[in-house]
Amino acid sequence: MPKDLIINGIRADSDPSKTVLEVAQGLGIHIPTLCEHKALTPYGACRICIVETIWKGKSSLHTACTYPAWEGEVKTNSDVVLKARKMILELMLAEAPGAEDIQKLAEEYGAEKGKYKVHRAGTENLCIMCGLCVRICTDIMKVGAIGFKERGYRREIATPFEKYSDVCTTCGACVFVCPTNAIKLEDITDKKTTSILSEFDAGLKERYPVYMPFPQAVPNKFIIDKDNCMYFNNNEACQICKEVCEFKAIEYGMKDETIEVEAGNIIVATGFKIFDPKRIEHFGYGRFPNVFTSLEFERMVNASGPTSGEIVLKSKDEKGNWIISPDGDKPGSVALIHCVGSRDENYNKYCSKVCCMYSLKLAHLVKEKLPDAEVYEYYIDMRAFGKGYEEFYDRIKEEGVNVIRGRTAKIEEINGQLLLRSEDILNDDLIEQKADMVILSVGLEPKEDSVDMSNKLGISTNEEGWFVEANSNSDPVNTHTGGIAIAGVCQGPKDIPDTVAQASAAASRVVQSILKGKIKQSIKDLSFENIESQAKQISKIKE
Amino acid sequence: MSDRVNPELVKRFRKYGTGDWNACFHCGNCTAVCSLTEQGILFPRKEIRAMQMGLTNKLASSPEPWMCYYCGDCSETCPRDANPGELMMSLRRWLIAKYDWTGLAGLFYRSLSALIMAFVLVAIGVVAIGFAKDFNHEAIMNFGHSLEFYLIFAVFALILIPNILRMFYYSVVRAKVNAPFGSYIAAFGNLFVHMFTQVKTLKCDKQTIRWFEHFMLVLGYLGLLVITVYLNWFETENQIIIYLGYITGGLVFVFTFLLMISRIKKTKELNKYSHQTDWFFIIWLFLMGLTAFLVRLFIDTNLLNDHFWLYMIHLIVISQWGILLVPFGKWTHFLYRSFAVSFANLKKAALKEKLVTAA
Repeated sequence: MPKDLIINGIRADSDPSKTVLEVAQGLGIHIPTLCEHKALTPYGACRICIVETIWKGKSSLHTACTYPAWEGEVKTNSDVVLKARKMILELMLAEAPGAEDIQKLAEEYGAEKGKYKVHRAGTENLCIMCGLCVRICTDIMKVGAIGFKERGYRREIATPFEKYSDVCTTCGACVFVCPTNAIKLEDITDKKTTSILSEFDAGLKERYPVYMPFPQAVPNKFIIDKDNCMYFNNNEACQICKEVCEFKAIEYGMKDETIEVEAGNIIVATGFKIFDPKRIEHFGYGRFPNVFTSLEFERMVNASGPTSGEIVLKSKDEKGNWIISPDGDKPGSVALIHCVGSRDENYNKYCSKVCCMYSLKLAHLVKEKLPDAEVYEYYIDMRAFGKGYEEFYDRIKEEGVNVIRGRTAKIEEINGQLLLRSEDILNDDLIEQKADMVILSVGLEPKEDSVDMSNKLGISTNEEGWFVEANSNSDPVNTHTGGIAIAGVCQGPKDIPDTVAQASAAASRVVQSILKGKIKQSIKDLSFENIESQAKQISKIKE
Repeated sequence: MSDRVNPELVKRFRKYGTGDWNACFHCGNCTAVCSLTEQGILFPRKEIRAMQMGLTNKLASSPEPWMCYYCGDCSETCPRDANPGELMMSLRRWLIAKYDWTGLAGLFYRSLSALIMAFVLVAIGVVAIGFAKDFNHEAIMNFGHSLEFYLIFAVFALILIPNILRMFYYSVVRAKVNAPFGSYIAAFGNLFVHMFTQVKTLKCDKQTIRWFEHFMLVLGYLGLLVITVYLNWFETENQIIIYLGYITGGLVFVFTFLLMISRIKKTKELNKYSHQTDWFFIIWLFLMGLTAFLVRLFIDTNLLNDHFWLYMIHLIVISQWGILLVPFGKWTHFLYRSFAVSFANLKKAALKEKLVTAA
């Protein structure tokens, strides 16, 4: 029969295989910790989780994280415990006066600052020697780039011989677990650290190696980025995700499966990629922090984006990198430049169709979220080609968006603002305008693998890389290859209503063939004699 | 002043340069990318528009083609490959033809055979004079020296100065530029600075080396001119003058050689389209410097009397240069560009006046 362990008057089963801390957490009782981590073995370095244990009438103090949950009584907030914690915090404050988390805890427990003096240089020290960084690097990440050096009051965290570490993988686990932000990667290695940027958030936000690709992903499951995960990069290290998952859902051995399907019809809807504006040096994309592509801006302005929909300028973080943060400054002026990479002999000759309308939409969103911002649209021709589109253009102008005929030629930076140089053709003027933020309306391009895909499927692409339809007037959905239909932007730039219409057409063609039970013959399947006789028939009708 | 639309102008213009100017769809990129455009002085898009519509009077009255220093940025970034840079160059040739009261400049631009014939005629003329003087070395060299004197004077008096007055008429009077009288002094203040340094080139991106090459060339050319004509290089005994002559002569043929290489290699946008007159200009400048240098060299090595044909060649070259290329060709840039800066200043002053009075 399990014996009783009473914590703060609440009864639980005693279980020596668990620690008091674990049982208390299971009961919802809070005990402060600093050097504890679910994935690491208990260490007992910081002593802040001290609790009073009473067994056979005798009271003593033990760290809850290491003490087994034997039968008896535990008090987590009795006077003697509070007094002990107060002293521990005072000692910690002497060690690391600058650590904010310690200061917060100290306030909670009434600890006095400056009560003890410690033989350590200055007030810059933040390390409380909890050992989390060393333990996670050595035990979990299996790298061991850092360790303890010296003894007693001279004890410090350091790399071997205090040289930059070669073995450090810049995984950042030490920085992540440190409770006082004491350790920095620049102190351990001179290897360049790069953030893993979220692809869905257009690189505006960081993500972890184990992540949900986007909120409405199908299936709605987390995935592991093998290129950046420590398990795959360092001989099955880490495995913290597997450890903490309550449902034991993590399986590192999962592999991509190749499935073979026999089908009578294929619909190719492989989509597009956007033009990379880095190719046009004059616009300063990549050089100036506040020049964005339309797609990046779409993510920023989206409620599920990195700023929950707030339009902000990039700001510098402590390391001096430009990042998007919800606290960033709001732009006072935004300029949108049309035809970036489209209608241009030097890049793509064609018009990407959708950019004029999406630029107007973005201008509208800016005006909606920042009513006092000045918004400028620099265009060559305004292509408002669909139902209600011209009316939308009028509405945008009424909202106060300035439209200027004249494509901006170059962008420079002056005093943190962007300077755009354009000719205002209708007013016969040269404009040198300052804007806080510039959005480049990038064009659409076929995906990099469109030629590859066309070879695999036996369908053709035109000289630009878009898939070729059977007949642009009468058959925009089938290809010349029997059984293969195309839909969406892979056939040519188009917007959402047109894509949906084309997709419906493709689907109905497929349904048609399924119901018929046979595939429509395409030119490729006909024999030469067949083609010849058909041609002769057509020429006879002409005569 | 109304101007008549003339769709034929583009066809006639083909003789003055090559480019697909009808392809322009007026995005304004060229005007914005140009480092030399400013309020009131906008190009090249407006010139292309005038060209497309064939507005001859408007084109003749614009000083804008001279404000362009052909860095080529506009042509490189043009989304239609319409070659606005070459249009500006062609306009400069056309304007030289327009300003010229004799009509010869236009003839030489449009017809290669006329140009060649003129060169041949001048050569024959010089040889004829040689015959007339029985090929007496001293007589011919004296003649050559006085020819240079009088030719310079005649070319300026009869052709260049009248043409500049015509330029003024077109660019200021016909264009109805009403600049206040006081602004004339300020407008012309920098005339000689621009003439001798063409500093505006430096305002363009990455044109420093090109500016330097041209500056050294002009320095050499003017130095050589002064030394041969006014300091009598071929007859002087003064060692300093002799050496200076060699230096300036050397500068001329070395820098023209470098510029010829660039034209052959077509490395930059501005080198890609060479008109026949561009080649004549640079080759003759090269020959001038080279033959002058060699003549003095033959004098100093006592070879000239046995090889007098060299001096004859030199005389032919400078006659062709002075009679044909200076008044009717690219040489006129030296004058027209600097005056254009002043006329543009007047245009800007008139614009400012209009805004002030309108306010």
